[in-house]
Amino acid sequence: MKPDVGEQLQGTCRILEQVVAPCVTDPFARTILDNLVANLRMLTGALPAVAPFLRADNQVTVRLLATLQPVLPAELSNRIGETLMRPEPDVADSAALDARNTAVRVILAESICSPGLAPAHHEAIRRHLSNRAAQAPMRYVSTLVTKPVDNLSNGTP
Amino acid sequence: MNAPAEQSLSCQPVGVDQPAMAVIEGLSNLIRARLPQARNIRLANLVRSAGGLSRENWRLDASWTDAQGEHSLEIILMRDASGTLLDTARDREFTVLAALAGSDVPAPRVHWVDANGCYLGAPSIVMDRMPGACDYLAPNSAAPLDSRIALARQFLWVLTRIHAFNWRGAQLGMHLGEPQGKPSSAELEHWDATYRRVQLEPHPELDYIHDWLSERAPESEAIVLVHGDFKPGNALVEAGRITAKLDWETAHLGDPLKDLGWITNPVRRREHQIADHWEREQIVNAYRLITGHAVDEHHLTWWNVFSNWKLAVIQLTAIAEFVQGRYHHVFQTPSWLYRPMFQLMDRLP
Repeated sequence: MKPDVGEQLQGTCRILEQVVAPCVTDPFARTILDNLVANLRMLTGALPAVAPFLRADNQVTVRLLATLQPVLPAELSNRIGETLMRPEPDVADSAALDARNTAVRVILAESICSPGLAPAHHEAIRRHLSNRAAQAPMRYVSTLVTKPVDNLSNGTP
Repeated sequence: MNAPAEQSLSCQPVGVDQPAMAVIEGLSNLIRARLPQARNIRLANLVRSAGGLSRENWRLDASWTDAQGEHSLEIILMRDASGTLLDTARDREFTVLAALAGSDVPAPRVHWVDANGCYLGAPSIVMDRMPGACDYLAPNSAAPLDSRIALARQFLWVLTRIHAFNWRGAQLGMHLGEPQGKPSSAELEHWDATYRRVQLEPHPELDYIHDWLSERAPESEAIVLVHGDFKPGNALVEAGRITAKLDWETAHLGDPLKDLGWITNPVRRREHQIADHWEREQIVNAYRLITGHAVDEHHLTWWNVFSNWKLAVIQLTAIAEFVQGRYHHVFQTPSWLYRPMFQLMDRLP
């Protein structure tokens, strides 16, 4: 399919930057436009990585849940068991991968905040969460207003 | 007085788009309500500026006459945007700025507030336009090292002046509310409520860190006026001098380590610190020397973690507002904050 998604996103950025941006003189609107273009560029690179990321994260999250399962309350442990039995969605089905990721992370959130976890569990939890954070494909792209004047802050949170 | 005719003439620099006209009309009505004796109100040179994620910023010139003669002001109007990251009240900000007038804290003089937006369509505050420029990375600008260190010290000095402000004498307690119990717990509870309100998907990282924070919430050494978002990006500097500390919308009474934890936060190092010259140790030592506060290292680290946790919640707020179609910047899940938080948590038992 031509133009493919990446080509369309890149082309949109090019047109916004070369055709639209020079005509935008309002500073607020220009800041918004710059942010949108930067985000589209980020998406161009990140989009192909989202499905593989979700699939890999589902797998390692399920493994961590299996490790925690024996020390968790029975009801929660049972729900983990049910989750573990469900098959992993097809790698081509992004929506199903996303839904599966949400489901396992809901249970993960509950599990890692449960009492009775050993130091080794906490170590594994932090390692898992840190690794996931390092691999998340979609990143905020800062487009800072660096030199505003007249009582205006820089627009960063 | 034929104010509408004067207004339509004076707003020509921004054209006749509706937001600008609404600002002109609303501000005229606000001034008329606050200064009933004012005549010939003129609002000119209206420009909406970039910058500011939570509010629209309009700068303009105002003039009017009364029995005392002619008055003119260079002002800025800050109006809540339709989508906002911070749930704050303009009347609280107005009260803080009014209380700071005449103190040794450099801050803009406030003139009027439209607390519930009945004149301007959204809560708004009007204050003096201050001289100077804003550079959010001022301590790491291209300026010579000596002047950067001097400026960084000046920023800390301003912070200590805020913390030393006599809020009891100014009766700020009745407006801002004095913390009941530990400020750390109250802050965590407040931001957790925001987190639960804006959460669109599971964030095990934030839940886990929340529990860690909750179990270790420290006592406060003192209750002071806290700025709540202290950074060079919220200040104006002219010729090496800080002319104004801005953005008081998050000011409140609380633990001084909240501000100190914000500026010693490793994630925001480039905004506040100068490598090898003005780092956490130097900042904390200087703060201790100026204020006489002990500054417990573990407590400060707790506030470092909290700073990032709160920042993550603010970003989730931005995402929720964006998804609702009320906010025009695109943010992502704040995963970049998670690892630094875990690293800080490892410092504490």
